[in-house]
Amino acid sequence: MALCLSLFVCAPACRRDAKAPPAPAPKQSVRATLAEVKGSVSVKRSTGDEWLAAVNGTALYDDDKLRTERGGSAELRFPSGTVVVVSEDTLLGIAETRAAPGRPQADVTVLRGAVDATLDRPANQSITVGTPAATVRAGREIVFQ
Amino acid sequence: MSLALTAALALFTSAATTPPASETVVRPGESLAQLAARTLGSEGAGPELLAFNHLDGAPKAGTRVQVPGPERARAVAAIGSARSAIGQAPAGSARTEAEARLTEAESLLARARYAEAAAQADGAWKLLADAREERSHFAVAVEPDGRTRVAVREGVPVRVEAQGRTRAVRAGETLTVIRGETPGTPQLETPTGAPAEPPILISPEPGLKLALEPAPGGLGPVRFAWKPVQDATGYVLDLAGPRTQSIRTTQPLVTVPGLPAGRYRWTVRAMQGDGSLGPPATRAVQLVPGRIKLEVKETPWQ
Repeated sequence: MALCLSLFVCAPACRRDAKAPPAPAPKQSVRATLAEVKGSVSVKRSTGDEWLAAVNGTALYDDDKLRTERGGSAELRFPSGTVVVVSEDTLLGIAETRAAPGRPQADVTVLRGAVDATLDRPANQSITVGTPAATVRAGREIVFQ
Repeated sequence: MSLALTAALALFTSAATTPPASETVVRPGESLAQLAARTLGSEGAGPELLAFNHLDGAPKAGTRVQVPGPERARAVAAIGSARSAIGQAPAGSARTEAEARLTEAESLLARARYAEAAAQADGAWKLLADAREERSHFAVAVEPDGRTRVAVREGVPVRVEAQGRTRAVRAGETLTVIRGETPGTPQLETPTGAPAEPPILISPEPGLKLALEPAPGGLGPVRFAWKPVQDATGYVLDLAGPRTQSIRTTQPLVTVPGLPAGRYRWTVRAMQGDGSLGPPATRAVQLVPGRIKLEVKETPWQ
């Protein structure tokens, strides 16, 4: 019985001879979408080194960076409904987090400049704004990691 | 076989959901309260530690005991949030019910039933948040030196954490956090004294290429000037370029003896009585060596 159980438990891990198909490229989910883009606003992908001009509808993923120049501004719209207005002369990053299933979380890291965040339903939304000096949290608190 | 399958599934389920717990050994002469303080950070958590280890009495020296992992941290965080929300909630049925749920969550924590404790505490928090039904609106501004200012415009309080300490900032309050320091006390926003306009910069002129003589620290002196802002108690000048520097002054003028050559962005903000800063004004300037070395060669010209 014990042998049977141990074989059952080990079976998937012990099948070394079978070649597993190559894992599909990890598909990233959209963390936020840009809207109300005004003036000079650019995005740097986590996988690239170039700053590219941002337009309305540009999707942002984990670890992407967003930069606004003087006179530039934009809105980050998160799937949860949270809206973050990015002021001029701001540099921020989209932080990588894992929220509770079915409860998207908005996380940004502001390195310079200013943002303005609005949660319409704070009971069901949450946002974390990280800065070099502090971490600001609003809305639902529990984050499952 | 069905029994084996059930056992295997139980094993998988347990491995997937049980948080990693660390282990420690009871030291000679260590009391339960001391052990709890060392492992869980609280002398009063002895009964919880016993419950987690299924022990009836205080373990003897040399006994190996399990210390709960992240699941406990989540439960403690959830209870902290619920407690904070209750502390700020107005009296009423929602608060009374939330208090009952919090008591139950604390009881479950003491019995090392962490997932249930977190769920109860989260329920208490949600109860109060739902009762409010108001949106949350706040602003975060980061200065060039990393100093962070949080202003809550409306809605439920936001939590500001720095250096392991958390402060709740309520609607109408602002909080400034200096890099590497714990958050101070939130201040009531005073819009009447707030400089709404950025300072008007005077010199150097926008985009100017400034030719300067060598001076200690580079080239200089460099004079930055702007028009006074009404009700300002001081100013902060931030230099970003080959040298990054933040200078506080009470006058609308700063003279820097010397700066390394190169391009700079200089930003000025007016300071209010509560230490918060008004909107910035920024310009660029380029510093170049002004002493041009002339080399005169002999020519046939007379």
